[in-house]
Amino acid sequence: MRARLSACCVLALLVGGVSPAQAVDRLSVAVADVVSAGLVLRDIRAEFDAARGTAAISVARARFGERVERDLRLRCGRAALDFQGFTCHRAAAQVGGKRIPAVFDLELDRRHGHVRMAAVLDGGGRLELDAGEGGRVRARLAELKAEGLQALLAAWSPSLVRRVQDLQPAGRVSGELDWQPGAGASPRLEVQLRLSEAGFGTADGLRAAEKLAVDLSLDARRSGAAWHWQLALDWQAGAAYLHPLFLEAGPRLSAHGRLDDRQLHIERAELELEGVRRVSASASADLDALDQGRLALEVQGADLAVVGPRWIAPLVAPASAERWAFAGHASGALQLAQGRLQAAEVAFDAAGFSLAAAADGTALALGPIGGALSWRAGQRSGARLQVAGGHWGKLALGGFEVDAELMGEGVTVARTRVPVLDGALVLDDLSLWRGAAGWAGRGSVVIEPVSMPALTAALELPQMSGVLSASLPGLRVSPGEIALDGALVISVFDGYLHATGLRLREPFGVAAHLNADVEARHIDLAQLTETFSFGSMSGFVDADVRGLELARWRPVAFAARIASSPGEYRRRISQRAVENIGALGGAGAIAAIQRSLLRLFDTFGYSELGLQCRLARGVCLMDGIEGATRADGGFVIVRGGGVPALDVIGYNRRVDWDELVDRLQRVIAGNVSPELR
Amino acid sequence: MSLLSTTRRRLGACLLGLVMAAAVHAQGNLEIDTPAIAALKQSMQKRHAQLAPLYAAGAVGLAADGTVALRDAGSVPLAQRTQANAAIAAENADRAALYREIARANDHPEWEADVRRTFAQRWIDRAQPGWWVQQGGKWVQK
Repeated sequence: MRARLSACCVLALLVGGVSPAQAVDRLSVAVADVVSAGLVLRDIRAEFDAARGTAAISVARARFGERVERDLRLRCGRAALDFQGFTCHRAAAQVGGKRIPAVFDLELDRRHGHVRMAAVLDGGGRLELDAGEGGRVRARLAELKAEGLQALLAAWSPSLVRRVQDLQPAGRVSGELDWQPGAGASPRLEVQLRLSEAGFGTADGLRAAEKLAVDLSLDARRSGAAWHWQLALDWQAGAAYLHPLFLEAGPRLSAHGRLDDRQLHIERAELELEGVRRVSASASADLDALDQGRLALEVQGADLAVVGPRWIAPLVAPASAERWAFAGHASGALQLAQGRLQAAEVAFDAAGFSLAAAADGTALALGPIGGALSWRAGQRSGARLQVAGGHWGKLALGGFEVDAELMGEGVTVARTRVPVLDGALVLDDLSLWRGAAGWAGRGSVVIEPVSMPALTAALELPQMSGVLSASLPGLRVSPGEIALDGALVISVFDGYLHATGLRLREPFGVAAHLNADVEARHIDLAQLTETFSFGSMSGFVDADVRGLELARWRPVAFAARIASSPGEYRRRISQRAVENIGALGGAGAIAAIQRSLLRLFDTFGYSELGLQCRLARGVCLMDGIEGATRADGGFVIVRGGGVPALDVIGYNRRVDWDELVDRLQRVIAGNVSPELR
Repeated sequence: MSLLSTTRRRLGACLLGLVMAAAVHAQGNLEIDTPAIAALKQSMQKRHAQLAPLYAAGAVGLAADGTVALRDAGSVPLAQRTQANAAIAAENADRAALYREIARANDHPEWEADVRRTFAQRWIDRAQPGWWVQQGGKWVQK
């Protein structure tokens, strides 16, 4: 015989024929089917043993909504069946032959139509359920531990628990759930939970959280086939690491949306985040593939000084994150789909970015910056930024505009003119793109004339006259190198310096260095020696410096040759200059000077001067006028000529470069007395 | 603490020196003593004091491509994982520059990949017992 009963009819069947005065020793009931809203139980058997005070109930097959479970068993350690209903204490439950790791107490209250269940989980914590008339179910969770909850859930959804286990959840959860079937097909679920001392961590440690305290509030109602929900999260304590970001408690999230046929839609989410006026988002995704969904994120009024170090630097430049500083504000929007960025819009408001120098390198600062950039995957888009100024090392940069076209992982910058002192650095047709090995690009650079007095003053060098300019039509960028084909020219001291083969290598690291070949022609010694307080010399020199390498603006390698310029001109050298040349060599190093002459005259005539230095590994291998090596091993630096005349001869061919520079600086400062022999 | 730090730095210097020497030998007559390489070596040696405990804890391993990689951040306190990641990124930037500089110093920039490969193997060969290295696409503990 097939029975079709409501849930509460089961209770009636169990106790209906029992009056308070009657004693029941043993009762067995078998029911084929129980069908209720969303619940189907098949082949139910219940046995009550009054003498022992025990009971056992089994259900061969149960369907909860779309979920089916087989072989459900409940064995009561102490049971009572009377007119009021049925109570079952210290009960053990099994599903599919597996014990549910908890001890249950169950009460079926016939008069009020309530079913109450309390479970003390083996792993800690207590869960209470109260099912009333109309199918309303209320649950209260008290200090449920993550381990116990997982064990409980394992009986319900092993696959879900396996996924959760990968996150190694920890902590406790307390709160209430209220399930209201409602009239018709409009059930409602309200959830208030508090996570405490909670955490998680993936095996690789790239996603983890500790000591979390989070309040969660969810209100979901079904309308038709869809669930409409509202969610609030309040992160009150703890910290998390979501590679490469470290996040701390404080953010609050409120969101609403719908769940429709396993499609989760976040219609709007608002996030309260320190340093940002407003963060809002919308998203949709299949529950089975959340990372393949779509996300639109909008950020308004982000204080870059706050969000820059926390959110931008670790993501964009982790290696130099601690050297970056931010100022001003930015707003923006991002769109992601299938885990890939589809579009980005950023607007800057008085934004500032600065990169402190690595070791004793050169610092860079730009700002305030205004303007906006827009990027679209697979489409051309643009950026227009107004930079009010900046600094590169000691050099102040004037205001300029950047007008760029963005395409994929490439950017093309139209002519950009960056004022530098009274000149400008002009970038033309600069294209940069990111490849597998890093950034590459090409373009051209012009330096519009910068006056040397202004430049030397800015760099805190002795003042020089002249101008600096450059035409470098072959700018090429490759990972670790910026090559500048063309020439940089400095007209100075009545002559000029001409630098070619400019290569800036490892420009953003500790090994930043500049390589170039430099040719100097017709440098007026009178101006040069006056500028550097080296005594007084008249005449002109040419110089060739091959393979010049500057690290942190200091020479570390070159092969230099200085020689008198050809032509007829006055050639005199002062006593002080001779003494200083001698002083540079150190004790016993350089000078063989006719001391008696030196004491008699202020200036001397010379016919030729020449000096060569090949610098490598901190040692300068010196030589003098080409082909003027003496039999005693000395080399002639100044060959006398006219009246009175003297020779300056060097004997020490290996000179420590740092010592040489140190002595030169002291000579210029006037603190070294000459050492003669 | 300072003694430990000094010891680690010295060990790092020794290790770097051994690897450099081995790489030079493997590449033939490579001249690696340039100021840029010296600056990189100094930077890496200084950072070694920060990375050595991470190697020992298994948080960071020596990858097969000549970089270092965050392989188990779980052993690093949560609040220090960003700094650990920054140290790794900085180390990898220095290593990439080192490989380029050695190739450049030989007037063969195209040797960069070979230099990187040689170094990668030497870093792994000379890793201390207990450190994690990448071999055959898998992490193994020496």
